[in-house]
Amino acid sequence: MLQYAIKRLLLMPPTFFLVSLAIFFVLNVAPGRPGTSDSAAQSGESSQSANQRESFRIFKEQFNLDKPILFNTRFSLTKADIEEALKIAYRLDSTDVRSAVRIEAQDNLDDWGNYMVRHLISILSDGSDPELSRLAALHLTSAAKTKFLRERGVEDAKTRALNREIGRRNQEFADWWWKKSETVQRAPEVKANWAKWWEKNRARYEYEGGEKASIFFSDTRFAKYWGNLLSLDFGVSTADRREVLPTIVSKLKYSMSLTMLSVILAYLIAVPIGIFSAVRNGSKSDASITLVLFILYSLPTFFTGTVLLRLLSEGDPIGWFPTGGFSSPGGDYRTTLSNLSDITWHLVLPIATYTSVSLAALSRYARSGVIDVIRADYIRTARAKGLHEFVVIMKHAVRNGMIPILTLLGTLLPVLVSGSVVIEVVFGIPGMGLYLYDAINLRDYNAVMGVLVIASSLTLVGILISDLSYAAVDPRISFD
Amino acid sequence: MDKPVLQEDPSYREIVWGQFKKRTLPYSALLGIFALFFIAVYAPLVISNKPFIWQVDGGEMSFPWFSSLYDRNFFESTLDIAFNCLLFPGTILVLPAAWIWRSTSALPRKERQPKRSRAAYATLAVLLLSFLAIVAASKGTPKIVYPELQQRLEAEGKQVKAVYPLIAYSYRDINLKEVRVGISSKHFLGTDNAGRDVFSRLVYGTRISLTIGLFAVAIYILIGIFFGALAGYYGGWIDIAIQRLIEVVISIPSLFLILTVAAFIENRSIFHIMAIIAAVRWTGPARLVRGEFLRLKNLDFVAAAQASGFKESVIIFKQILPNALGPVLVSATFGVASAILTESTMSFLGLGDITVPSWGQILSTGRTTGSWVMILAPGFAIFATVSLLNLLGEGVRDALDPKLRS
Repeated sequence: MLQYAIKRLLLMPPTFFLVSLAIFFVLNVAPGRPGTSDSAAQSGESSQSANQRESFRIFKEQFNLDKPILFNTRFSLTKADIEEALKIAYRLDSTDVRSAVRIEAQDNLDDWGNYMVRHLISILSDGSDPELSRLAALHLTSAAKTKFLRERGVEDAKTRALNREIGRRNQEFADWWWKKSETVQRAPEVKANWAKWWEKNRARYEYEGGEKASIFFSDTRFAKYWGNLLSLDFGVSTADRREVLPTIVSKLKYSMSLTMLSVILAYLIAVPIGIFSAVRNGSKSDASITLVLFILYSLPTFFTGTVLLRLLSEGDPIGWFPTGGFSSPGGDYRTTLSNLSDITWHLVLPIATYTSVSLAALSRYARSGVIDVIRADYIRTARAKGLHEFVVIMKHAVRNGMIPILTLLGTLLPVLVSGSVVIEVVFGIPGMGLYLYDAINLRDYNAVMGVLVIASSLTLVGILISDLSYAAVDPRISFD
Repeated sequence: MDKPVLQEDPSYREIVWGQFKKRTLPYSALLGIFALFFIAVYAPLVISNKPFIWQVDGGEMSFPWFSSLYDRNFFESTLDIAFNCLLFPGTILVLPAAWIWRSTSALPRKERQPKRSRAAYATLAVLLLSFLAIVAASKGTPKIVYPELQQRLEAEGKQVKAVYPLIAYSYRDINLKEVRVGISSKHFLGTDNAGRDVFSRLVYGTRISLTIGLFAVAIYILIGIFFGALAGYYGGWIDIAIQRLIEVVISIPSLFLILTVAAFIENRSIFHIMAIIAAVRWTGPARLVRGEFLRLKNLDFVAAAQASGFKESVIIFKQILPNALGPVLVSATFGVASAILTESTMSFLGLGDITVPSWGQILSTGRTTGSWVMILAPGFAIFATVSLLNLLGEGVRDALDPKLRS
């Protein structure tokens, strides 16, 4: 048993690694562009203004979305690659390209960032095509920017000072470009500025062998993802710019109070019902209980929830309960007791929905567990000894028959924490499920990732507890 | 004197079928599911806004209904065209198959079974070929809304002769003049936000639910059998690798995963939804099959097969697998119910295929508009389908259980 437990514990980290890998690929291989809004997601279109493009570029940089997924080979970009991308993106070629290709070229010019600085400098000084030089200067003003360091907390004075320095450096070349109409007047001056700047800074933008190897593996989304995961940093939500982890933790209390209460209630009702109908196996009352449970079992959660909501809360026909949410606004101005009753009032319908669904499954388990035991020989022996029927059932049958239903608790743990998407959406309860639902609709990658990783690790723990408790309670189970 | 009749021992299949038929509730559930399937296939006979016969001013007669069955502008999804193939060539093909079935029932098993399976395979093959031919040949003709055209022509004083199906609505056609009409003799269940007839959407929704249920489960059962058989038969590092894979999949809460993947697919079709459900749910049958294989591979018949030099693939799939299928069959039946629930949950949350008339989507409209009809009707449809399947699953489980055999 101990050996088994140790083995299982040792298997946890590799499994967790694989789970995180799976989540990473689900999120990164998925098509579709991330964004805070439709306009940001669409900013690949050339109709967008330069300002919008720049803000989208910064947005991508902030969330590491400008990086390649697995391996970074951008240090091997050539001057020809960049010239071609510029030509496609700005329609310098007469040849017609599909808009998808053009959008890709524009994205690349945004994403390549620091890696194309040395080639842009060389295109700029080349001067064979004045328009290409102009575009090179334009892109240099954003590509040469140094990335800001992430600030952690308000008191981080050192990072703040460094960021101020970076900002000053980035500001230096902000207007080292020219409009098409001013080519003659400004081009020589801008070119000279960049040449001087390049002499001073070239070491930062040229890559040696060892540096290349480290970039190849570390300057990727995958590496950043793992770095963040190991430091328990899920980043900032792209939708509301708040830290993901604290948000998820704050959502836990809503999800947990809903599901905990429901599960407790479901157990309290399901176990006696299961025992009763197992003892009366074959009777009319057993048949009718089985029928009711069967109906509950087949009812979809969202249907029960919608019907209850429509029936009892919208004032048509009955308006006893609030139409949704976890509590009424203004909780700070009420006493704890009235807050509690307010929350209870809000939770009646969701809990009823949730309980009705889990109740059916649980009591079916309880019933079949007890029925299996009642057929056993030792129950006959107990009866033959002349024990009172109540003692036979409660002491001999129920204790053993409850094993499967108790170990179910382990598998319920993740549900307890992550709540139910459907119920939270129907009743508007701001828990983990609703958070995930909103996040996937907004393409909020960091939030989705955070929820999935946390819910999965809790599930892993839940499965472990369930297996271990099963092994602990039932000595007949052996493990190899 | 009569020829002596050989008393055949019933085969395993016959025993199970006999057990199953004894219980009325699961048996009638099976009939109910057949009825649903029947409704799904023959829906256009009753619900379609294309007239069977169309004639203007005694001119040329045309038959728009027949051509609309395989019309890409009318039945936009391949799924509908597939069901229409079951309706038209399918019905005709089933007749000879049924005749062969009947005519062979007197034969002894050894002659009967190969004949029957040959007939079944031939029917399936012809059906599939005709489906492929029809899909390849299907075109889109200009969209004409015949009831409106008729009104217009009659207003111009022309004589129009048209015979419509009983309910002359398409589940797809938007009619902004009749938005959210209540229950009436014209619209049995009213209309939705876009003026589409809810009753016809509900009936055509049967197609979506049944297809997703059956196919998603078929896909994941195959995946599960494959991985489970490999893990159980070979053991060792293959088993460890597959077990880790299973553990990874079950560690991610399945609805979370399904919704996330679905949300990131643009232009989701019901085929994507089947694939997503299958990709998440295959672990159940894989574990079952693995367990069965672990038990079976040490039995004598496997040793005998190995000793007689059968190929490993034959031992795995022909010798052991048929013996391991019992529990898989039970979990598949319950799986269809849960796949249908998952699909309707997805479309209820707006993450299904928005172009098809899914029950969950109707219910979601019902929730936002507060219309009782659009809550109760699809809810009841889902409930009925799911409980029929659950009843069937229980019947199959009991029929396969040797302890309950009398």
